[in-house]
Amino acid sequence: MTADVMIELQQVSKLYRGQKTPAVEDVSMTIRRGEIVVLVGPSGCGKTTTMKMINRLIEPSSGRIMVDGSDVTSLNPTELRRRIGYVIQQVGLFPHMSVATNVGLVPKMLGWDRKRIDARVDELLHLVGLEPGQYRHRLPRQLSGGQQQRVGVVRALAADPPVMLMDEPFGATDPLTRDRLQNEFLRLQEKLQKTIVFVTHDFDEAIKMGSRIAVLGDRSSIRQFDTPERLLSNPVDKTVAQFIGAGASLKQLNLRRVDAVDWDEAELVRLDDSPTSALRRLDETGEWAVLSVDSERRPVHWITARDLDPHQDNLRGIGGPATVVEPRATLHDALDAMLSSSSGAAVVVDDAGRYRGTVTIDRLMRAIGEMRETERRRDQPVSEAPETADGPRADAVPGQRRGARSAADRQTP
Amino acid sequence: MSVGTVGSGQLADAPPSRWRPLLRRHATMPLVLAAALLATYLWVGSLALDDIERRSLNAGHLFRVTGQHVSISAMTALLVVVIAVSAGVLLTRPALRWLAPFVTALANIGQATPAIGLLVLLSIWLGIGAGTALIGLVAYAVLPVLRNTIAGINQVDRHLIEAGRGIGMSPLAVLLRVELPLAVPVIFAGVRTALVLAVGVATLATFIDAGGLGGLIVTGIKLQRDPVLITGAVLTAALALTLDWLGGVIADVLRPPGLD
Repeated sequence: MTADVMIELQQVSKLYRGQKTPAVEDVSMTIRRGEIVVLVGPSGCGKTTTMKMINRLIEPSSGRIMVDGSDVTSLNPTELRRRIGYVIQQVGLFPHMSVATNVGLVPKMLGWDRKRIDARVDELLHLVGLEPGQYRHRLPRQLSGGQQQRVGVVRALAADPPVMLMDEPFGATDPLTRDRLQNEFLRLQEKLQKTIVFVTHDFDEAIKMGSRIAVLGDRSSIRQFDTPERLLSNPVDKTVAQFIGAGASLKQLNLRRVDAVDWDEAELVRLDDSPTSALRRLDETGEWAVLSVDSERRPVHWITARDLDPHQDNLRGIGGPATVVEPRATLHDALDAMLSSSSGAAVVVDDAGRYRGTVTIDRLMRAIGEMRETERRRDQPVSEAPETADGPRADAVPGQRRGARSAADRQTP
Repeated sequence: MSVGTVGSGQLADAPPSRWRPLLRRHATMPLVLAAALLATYLWVGSLALDDIERRSLNAGHLFRVTGQHVSISAMTALLVVVIAVSAGVLLTRPALRWLAPFVTALANIGQATPAIGLLVLLSIWLGIGAGTALIGLVAYAVLPVLRNTIAGINQVDRHLIEAGRGIGMSPLAVLLRVELPLAVPVIFAGVRTALVLAVGVATLATFIDAGGLGGLIVTGIKLQRDPVLITGAVLTAALALTLDWLGGVIADVLRPPGLD
């Protein structure tokens, strides 16, 4: 085992008492440091059982599980779990404790002093955009579903565990919130570089979140363990292909992020500007719409010449909807935003909702073209040397992905 | 890391307006009780009492028997809480869960047996006196608290317990910080029931010479002295209602925040 390996499952099986067939049978898997491995499969396939054996919420019947070089069965389960973050779909915040108490539980059990816990709690709440002054004393029921799940995630992060287990963490939230939580989490993960095992039954989520995806069949058997790109372009058999579902090419849009394509600039006007000046801008630039922004540079409306009434004093309330995406959103999200925007372009905004640029359908098409190109190039050597290509290629792909991400980071200050 | 520290932390976090609704919810009962006691007092005071009645209905005697009654009820309640809550906790641990139906059945027998029969049987075995009465009352009142402790702990969302274990809380910490605090409202409802039962059944303690307000009622019936009978009955009822009210107030104060 190399130092690069964080979690290793060696022929792990789980047979529940009184049952004839094992829930998990002979699963072996190696998870590298800093990657998000998604276990995806139909419900009842044993993916959650597999995950829970890593922190010994369920004891394996046979096989060995190594975390960071030590056999988990050799450790005290309570101590072990304090070093492994745990997030569940039901969030599991304790309803009778404040947000701060919930988040500070693990550090407190680890014996941190009060000051250090308080500082850590504030830091973490900041990290997920919950203003500590406003939220630390709230009770869980005083938070929205999305906020609760954010607190659930930072509670798991509180003692900075190197490993996180996440069991359908965003499954109970509405699609919009889920999307935002996913983006937020990916942004966090970029900073934190945790080793994450992520369970979901939603293949689209798997593609979005995973560095690598394990498609599981009955008894947690691994059908294919590969990068999202490879899964989409080369499903190993019919079952996997079925599970991926229709529209694999559309799903590839989930693999690229908005910050990996070039942005355009919109013509900005302020809400206080006069319609006449907006009209002049439209004429000068030849654009067919300008984007109105508020005093914080947050986009408000797309305004076309038709919307403008020269008798009005300012641009408030004029124009059609401007849909926004974050730089971490996928191109799929961006396409969605474009389709519901009045101008056909999605506005890219930063954390605070301020204007950064726009993504248009042309840019999107170009990105798809590039993806096809790289896919074709990558697949060529495989047909020439099918025996040896597997190992190095599997390694090369996440590297490539990470490379793409960091290039994007350099682009976006 | 005890339940106590959690509680104080919560109080500090809670808004100061917590006491006002408490007062509003619980102010009626003391007024009703005071009115009933006053009415009884005025009524008895307006009567010309004979010797027998005077012997029972004087302040000294009334205070003594009421004191006996309160102390026997309070002792019962205390013992019941200690026994039933610890038994309930044990019977909800995974290793002992299978025992729960048997123990509940036993407690059921304790309550289903007519209280007077239970007391008399016990006195034949253990002799008469306050100690025997206490044992009988505890056997009689243990069921509601035991059943509610088990139910209260079992109704705690399994996901919360799993979350607690998943983030590395020890089994004891999960019990003290999650299961028990969240079970408190249900457990306390059982304690209130037990208290009222204990006060009522403690009137029977007089039959095995353990004192209490039952003496007044028995005297009133045997000697056909209605004022004595009614005073005993009113005092018993008032005591039961007072303790129930007190239980309600305490339950409200102890109730963990964040629950609906």
